[in-house]
Amino acid sequence: MRISFQEELDALESSLRVEGELVLRSLRGSVEAVCAQDLELADEVIAFDDDVDSQYFAIEQGIELLLARQTPVASDLRLVLALLKDNLHLERMGDLCVTIAKLTKLTKGLQPDDALLEGFKEMGERAEQMIRVALRSLEQRDRVAAESLLELDELIDRANRRVVNRLLDLGHDLEVREWGLRMILVSRCLERIGDHAVDIGEQTAYLVTGEFREFTDASH
Amino acid sequence: MVTMSTDSSTTIEPMSLADIAKEHGDAGVTNREAVFQVNDLAVSYSGNVAIRDVSLDVFENAITAFIGPSGCGKSTLIRCFNRMNDLVPGAKIAGQVLYHGKDLYADDVDPVEVRRRIGMVFQKPNPFPKSIYDNIAFGPRVLGLKDDMDGRVERALQQAALWDEVKDRLKESALGLSGGQQQRLCIARCLAVEPDVILMDEPASALDPISTTRIEDLMHELKREYTIVIVTHNMQQAARVADMTAFFSVEVSPDGKRTGIIVEYDRTAKIFTTPADKRTEDYVTGRFG
Amino acid sequence: MSRRTLKGGIFKALLLFSLFVGFLMLGVLLVDVFHDGLPYLDLTLLTNPPSSDPQQAGARPAILATLYIGVLLLLFVVPIGVGTAVYLEEYADKTRWYNRLLEINIQNLAAVPSIVYGILGLAFLVRGLGLGRVLLAGAMILTLLVLPTVIIAAREAIRSVPDSIRQGGYALGATQWQVVSRQVLPASIPGIATGSILALSRAIGETAPVIMIGAVTFISFDPTILGPFTALPIQIFQWVRLPQEEFKLLAAAAIIVLLAILLTLNAFAIYIRNRYRRTW
Repeated sequence: MRISFQEELDALESSLRVEGELVLRSLRGSVEAVCAQDLELADEVIAFDDDVDSQYFAIEQGIELLLARQTPVASDLRLVLALLKDNLHLERMGDLCVTIAKLTKLTKGLQPDDALLEGFKEMGERAEQMIRVALRSLEQRDRVAAESLLELDELIDRANRRVVNRLLDLGHDLEVREWGLRMILVSRCLERIGDHAVDIGEQTAYLVTGEFREFTDASH
Repeated sequence: MVTMSTDSSTTIEPMSLADIAKEHGDAGVTNREAVFQVNDLAVSYSGNVAIRDVSLDVFENAITAFIGPSGCGKSTLIRCFNRMNDLVPGAKIAGQVLYHGKDLYADDVDPVEVRRRIGMVFQKPNPFPKSIYDNIAFGPRVLGLKDDMDGRVERALQQAALWDEVKDRLKESALGLSGGQQQRLCIARCLAVEPDVILMDEPASALDPISTTRIEDLMHELKREYTIVIVTHNMQQAARVADMTAFFSVEVSPDGKRTGIIVEYDRTAKIFTTPADKRTEDYVTGRFG
Repeated sequence: MSRRTLKGGIFKALLLFSLFVGFLMLGVLLVDVFHDGLPYLDLTLLTNPPSSDPQQAGARPAILATLYIGVLLLLFVVPIGVGTAVYLEEYADKTRWYNRLLEINIQNLAAVPSIVYGILGLAFLVRGLGLGRVLLAGAMILTLLVLPTVIIAAREAIRSVPDSIRQGGYALGATQWQVVSRQVLPASIPGIATGSILALSRAIGETAPVIMIGAVTFISFDPTILGPFTALPIQIFQWVRLPQEEFKLLAAAAIIVLLAILLTLNAFAIYIRNRYRRTW
């Protein structure tokens, strides 16, 4: 029943998954660019964001048309609203990767700190894992998996704090300080990517339960 | 992307949203052949003009919907396409209706032949008081298509998604079917004469929601092979099924005469997201006076 | 008891009283006829021709003639009546003056006294066409008598076919004749059949026009279509006028036969109507 409506919904969901894959590629590229100081790779990441954006617009438009033509209700409506917000979260993640790439370019010629870069690598992997868990929990409508994102986010937050502490220890050299400021922003971007993944998890929980709740309050 | 690493365990699917747009015919509908071309059409009954100044094209293998408040002449218009208005005494047509480029109202055109190619399904299901088999067979029989009647009946019922429900009781009276089944029977009856176009005058307004959804799903299937024009007073239905939508309204003249006019005709997506005319916007948002 | 309930009760009592009066009349008639006629109801009544001896007398020619007239009547009145009704309902442009004239006249014809039909038959059929005083003429004039009834019944039957059926037929590419012959007429058959049978039973009981045509009152041979004839009502009439008391009782028996024929026909009409009653 309502075959074409169901097909449209399915198409939107799978398009979101595609967007997720694009964002993951962007993330891996940007983290690698930072760790390897690869400026060419950074440029590619920046250019690649156009692909993410066009997927974002396509999904936006698809959702607008679906709402106008099919008037979804109940769980269909919650799914469409969740997809709408997840779309935005993924697009923001893409933008954050671009920021990381741009910061990498700005630190050209500056001396990196290996321990810090190790930390970024770890944060990058953590963020990647969170994005995968978030998307899979949406696909499988798995509330428990969505809630597990909170713990994973905790790990990224700790890594972020370790980065800040390490930077404070690095020294007072001007070049080092410049590099350090930029790297704090990179760390912040990775931590924000983790937060967006948690938000996607919250949308999944809303979709399943019908209630919207933040997983944790603002004091955390 | 040469140097960016890719994880080879995941494959990226093609842009399925574009596929969907193609499948449901929204994009590029207006590039297809125009099955009907209406030019400056006006219809009057015994001197009272029911609808005027209508010009539009109906495109092939698409669903075109006519929406608008009651009295705006949409049923009158659709009945011009198969010359059913000829049966109303006092009905007069001005203007032109072209079917594949030929004038439907030319002197040498036989209305019976027109109605064979352009079928119609009515608002209230009207099965004949005969068996299910005889209902479907009536059309082919009167047109002289007597070969393989069993095959014809089965094909028509299959296309109307009714075969499985009635295949064991073809000889029973059609009046024993439920409302939704009767309407699908009427669609099958129409399909049995192998028309080119199917006209539907509020096909689901007498049915319950579940039957309505089945008819709408059926329309999506049928438009692959047929061109469909539907009149509906349920604009959400038009939003769900139609590729192109025409919005009609009523104009009241100073002496109180009501005439139907066409306000806007465009892709359904546009009518329901960014309509060009304020009257259209007022109607689809439910804010008309 | 409140005033309203009392009024309702009085009204109901009056209705029952009218019903009672009707039934009482009918009951008295039937009882009288059966009391007189039942002893004389035997096979000789049905198989013997009339004779001056009441013991031998039968109504065989009259019964046969009545049956023949009935068959001929149906053969004439159904095609003409249905044809007229189909023309008026399906083909005629109702705004034209001659069609409106036709409609009014049919209603009028149904009200003409039957003796007038008799005179008409005598003048045009018996004398004008030179048919003579034959059974065929009797059948023809009775046809004219009940034709308006059949036309009206057929029109009602045709009108009761919903227009949506016709529209459905036209929309499939059927011509007008195909719609009429394959949809409208088959669906009207119950109404037409009922109307025809009721017309038949009325015609069988008509006496005046048949007498005018010249139904002979004493016929001892079996009737033929183009020969002299008599009919059951006339036979009854004749017997009643004879001086012997026994003939009057014989007449009562013949009345029972006539009633039996009529009741059978009417029951058949009701059966058809109920069996084929359609809910659209």
